[in-house]
Amino acid sequence: MRAYLTIAALALPLIAGAAHAQTVTGTVSIDGSVANRCALSINSQTISLGEMSLAATGKLDTSKVDGQNRTLVGFCNGSAAAMRVEAQPLLNITSPGAPPSGFDNRVDYTATANANSVNATDSSVVAGAGTAATVGQFSGNILVTLSASSSPTSGLLVAGTYQGQVLVTLNPVP
Amino acid sequence: MKARIALAALVIAAPAGMASAQGPLEGRVAVDGSVAGRCVLGPPSQSAVPLGTLTNTSGPRTGRLATIAAQAINFPGSYCNFAGTRISVSANAMVAADATAPQPGFARAVNFTSTVSNWAAANAVVTTAASAGGATPAAQGPGGTHPAPKLADLTLTLNNFAVPSDLLLVSGGYAGAVTITLGPATP
Repeated sequence: MRAYLTIAALALPLIAGAAHAQTVTGTVSIDGSVANRCALSINSQTISLGEMSLAATGKLDTSKVDGQNRTLVGFCNGSAAAMRVEAQPLLNITSPGAPPSGFDNRVDYTATANANSVNATDSSVVAGAGTAATVGQFSGNILVTLSASSSPTSGLLVAGTYQGQVLVTLNPVP
Repeated sequence: MKARIALAALVIAAPAGMASAQGPLEGRVAVDGSVAGRCVLGPPSQSAVPLGTLTNTSGPRTGRLATIAAQAINFPGSYCNFAGTRISVSANAMVAADATAPQPGFARAVNFTSTVSNWAAANAVVTTAASAGGATPAAQGPGGTHPAPKLADLTLTLNNFAVPSDLLLVSGGYAGAVTITLGPATP
């Protein structure tokens, strides 16, 4: 079948040639590209924990932190996109100095970001981001969950307002 | 000339056709919380201080106040989680349950000194000054302030037990009270 079609194609120029008509073939090449890209349509959320200490003991109420989650939304269109999480501790911004013995003014936790069924985690105990995880192509939710909360000495928490953050970085690896 | 133009056009088109990689992109989940200011007095080592018989039962001071040893009550694990706190103590003299005015030479009140230590540089101290008849039994003594959150074992010491004019004590039951207050220096 393929051979027959080839012969027919050869025959056509001969016929055309016999009529002395000129055939000109022009070619328009069309190409395009899609950049390796990640995007976040929801790139900011807030978790408000409220009162974090136990009234009975004055120490961290881990139930107020562990299990808290928020959802970012985005996509990566490359097969090798990487996701990295950096958990930054909750620090007492009202009393930022070194706490007296028996007290803590910092709350640590582990943050886990889940996208495309891949987890990237980081503990705020150690500064800096955690190990990158390859998420590949995905489009949808990035679920950020807090767990394993603690304070440095399991001491009493100094009164005040505490602030921290979880940074989720998507990197479209070329 | 035409050839040159065509080449130039190709050179320009080439970069536009390349899929340039994007840099890292960051999302943020802010986390905030709070801890309320709180002061807690630890559980007292004894919630009541039984002194037993207050008077001597023999000898030249029979019927008068016996020597009462200092009493110490501990409040372990007391704390305030904020800076700028004050401790104070108030006390009611030990007064006879029988409110009848005593006969001359008798008293129905026992005064004492209450001292709370190990919080601020200045202890909280108060000495009651009830009259022989039991009037004005209440007294209050401010203590010092502490500039930082603190966790400490407080000690309340009761001593200097005395009867107005060292009079004879009327018989019956006697009761007093001490209240310790720990809180912000500027309410």
